Amino acid sequence: MHIPDSFMPLSQAIVYWVIALPFIIMSMKWAKNDLDEMKVPVLAALAAGIFAIQAMNIPIGMGTSGHMVGATLVAIVFGSPWAGVLVLTLVLLVQGFAFGDGGITTMGANILNMGIISGFVGYYTYVALRKSTGTSIAAFGGAWLGLFISSIVCAVQMWIAGTFPLVPGLIAMGTYHLIIGFVGEGLITAVVITAIAKSRPDLLEDNFTVRPEKSKKEAHA
Amino acid sequence: MSGNSNMKFLYAGIAIALLLSVLAPFLASSDPDGLESAAGGVVEESKMSEIEEMEPAVSSPMPDYAIEGMGKSGEVLAIAVGTIAVLAISFGFGKVFNKKA
Repeated sequence: MHIPDSFMPLSQAIVYWVIALPFIIMSMKWAKNDLDEMKVPVLAALAAGIFAIQAMNIPIGMGTSGHMVGATLVAIVFGSPWAGVLVLTLVLLVQGFAFGDGGITTMGANILNMGIISGFVGYYTYVALRKSTGTSIAAFGGAWLGLFISSIVCAVQMWIAGTFPLVPGLIAMGTYHLIIGFVGEGLITAVVITAIAKSRPDLLEDNFTVRPEKSKKEAHA
Repeated sequence: MSGNSNMKFLYAGIAIALLLSVLAPFLASSDPDGLESAAGGVVEESKMSEIEEMEPAVSSPMPDYAIEGMGKSGEVLAIAVGTIAVLAISFGFGKVFNKKA
C-alpha cells in the first residue's frame, strides 16, 4: 500500500506530513516514557522482522499480491498503538530512502495510513474484542480491520489526489485489501501473538508493564 | 544484565528476519501489490502512462529491493542490508530514548 511520489500532488503530500508529524512526535514521547532496557531488544527484533516480512508479497489471486503491515502486531505486544506508529515510521523511512518503496514526499501519507490508522484501528479493535473472543481471534480481527480501513482511507486519498475515481477506487482497494488483510495481516498477526502468548506471556502488554519482580530487578541493574 | 531473556527474543527475531530476507526474493509474488493493481484497473491509460513516467522525488540506492546486475543474490543482499539497517536504527533509537537505564 506504499504510495509512490507520482500518485499524489506535492501540496497534498505535505498536508499528510503535517497530519502525521504530531503522531510521530507522540510516538517518540511514548518511547521516552515507556521504553526500558527490557523492551528495546523486543522493539528492534519486531522492527527487523516486519521489514523482512514486508518484502514477502503473498499472491492473493486476481493478479495481485499483498504483504503484512505489522502496526497492529507491534501495538498489541507493547500495549500501545504509539509503538506501532514508531516502528512503522522507522520501517517506512528505510523503505523509502534505501529502496524507493513508497515516495519521500508521500511518506507522511504512508506513515498515516500504515502506521497510525492501521495501528490505532487494529489495536483498539483488538482491545474491544479480547475479553469476549480471546487473544487469537481478537488479534486476527484487529489486524484485519486495521488493514482494511487503512486501504479505504488510501482509496479516498487517491480520489482527492485526482489519481483514482472514487467508487471504482474504493471497490478495487477494498476488495484487494479485504483479502490481503485476511491472509497477510490477520493470520500472521494472530499466529505471532498466539505464539508469544504461549511462549513468553510476560511480553504481552499488561504483563509487560505490571511485573513487580522484573521492574524491581531492573531498578537494581 | 536485566534484559537477558529479551536479548534471546532479539536473537530469535534477527534469525527469523534474516531467514525471511533470504527466502523473500524466491517466494515473494511478482504480481503488483493492491495499490498498483487498483491503479492498473481504475486509472485511465493516458494518465497511467503519465504517472509511470514520473521519476521518484529522491532516487534510492537499491530500488525495488534489488542491486543492479546482481540478480537474485542482489535481492537477498538488499533485503538483508535493509533488515540489518532497520534493526540497527530501531535498537539505536531505543537506546538513545531509554534514559532510565
